[in-house]
Amino acid sequence: MKRLVIAVAVLALAGCGGEAVVPVGQEAHGHGASSAAPPVPGASARFNDADVMFVQMMVDHLQLGISLSQVGLAKATSQQAKDLAGAIDVTQREELTMLKSWLKLWDKPEGDGASLHASHGGQPLLDDKVINETKEKSGAEFDMNFLNLMTGHQGAGVEMALAEKKDGQNPEATAYAERVVTSRQGQIEQMLKIISGP
Amino acid sequence: MKLMRKAALLMAAVPAIVLITPVGSASAHGYVSSPASRSAQCARGDISVDLCGQAKYEPQSAEGVKGKKNCSGDNGAFAPLDNDSLPWKVTNTGQTLSLTWTFTARHATRDYEYFIGNTRVGYFSGNNQQPNNPTTHTINLGGFSGRQKLYAIWNISDTVNAFYSCIDLNISGGGGTTPPPTTTTTTTPPKPTTSTTTPPPAGGGTWAANTSYAVGQTVTYSGSTYRCRQAHTSLTGWEPPNVAALWEKI
Repeated sequence: MKRLVIAVAVLALAGCGGEAVVPVGQEAHGHGASSAAPPVPGASARFNDADVMFVQMMVDHLQLGISLSQVGLAKATSQQAKDLAGAIDVTQREELTMLKSWLKLWDKPEGDGASLHASHGGQPLLDDKVINETKEKSGAEFDMNFLNLMTGHQGAGVEMALAEKKDGQNPEATAYAERVVTSRQGQIEQMLKIISGP
Repeated sequence: MKLMRKAALLMAAVPAIVLITPVGSASAHGYVSSPASRSAQCARGDISVDLCGQAKYEPQSAEGVKGKKNCSGDNGAFAPLDNDSLPWKVTNTGQTLSLTWTFTARHATRDYEYFIGNTRVGYFSGNNQQPNNPTTHTINLGGFSGRQKLYAIWNISDTVNAFYSCIDLNISGGGGTTPPPTTTTTTTPPKPTTSTTTPPPAGGGTWAANTSYAVGQTVTYSGSTYRCRQAHTSLTGWEPPNVAALWEKI
């Protein structure tokens, strides 16, 4: 019976659901320390698989959003839409830099968007083809296309962030997920009010 | 021996379970954005989150098995969408109505159906392809008039499910004998300069959400002063300390 428990425990540790801890503090100061209790890892070094997946998927999601916002910035006729595109562009670049630094800290790859989508059952809303088709539109038709695409894209971001809030563990990543929920909801509110009138 | 067999079974089962557990699903969907459907009104903040529930966060996820005539797909978290007594905004329309769907993921589509009561007033095949994004349909309201609830249904081809959206309408020109009016569309094109936001006082003031800020304007937030770096309409989640791209601390 004892052997069974150990076997299961080892498997559980080796599986995907285990908590990974990078002992950042230990690397810097703790080598050779004989203290019985391991040093408490830095907050950002404490993460689980949900955190990693969220951040990897957000990197791809932010990049697509930046591509679309640049098209909006260049072609939107509504000043509100143009301003929003500009603000989404710069804020998401800032977020992207932050998330990439987390993956580096965690020693995790950025992953590639297509395989991430495929392995999580998604039919991505945005790809280069959709973005290029949008570029072909003009005037009010362009604005409607751009705003509906961006509304949907940011809505997908809210879903990813809600999953992270539920399953994630890293304090910075879950706090960021909360900001994604509120900021994207605010953007969606603004966009829907341009789409269907105040 | 029996124990060993159990152990072997468990050992085989554990990694499989770990592999099939959905760590976080981003399996998203769609809703009618124009005219503002009930879901869209929740996302727009027209109806409070207390009344809307989950539809505020995921207007695209009122999903249920095909064949229903309701607004939630019988998805419990979205039950408020079925509540006719909430203060839903009503769209005035003639007999012809254009509707636009916003998608958060593009499922292969069997078709779209539009119903008033049990009468199907619109049908569009999806050819089992991914939909164009966005997708706009123009339907004829079949002589219906007055206050009506339109069911907009997106039937997915690779699952048993559909996505449900309801639009509250006040239809003119129906009743069979009355000729349709000449102005028939309710789709509001984007208005270049319309703003529902409040311009801040020129001398700064305290940062507030839903305010239009121009480059160079200053605000205070939590005792610090910030200068706007990028024109935008502020929102919760874009507080100055969180978005250095929008606000420079001075």
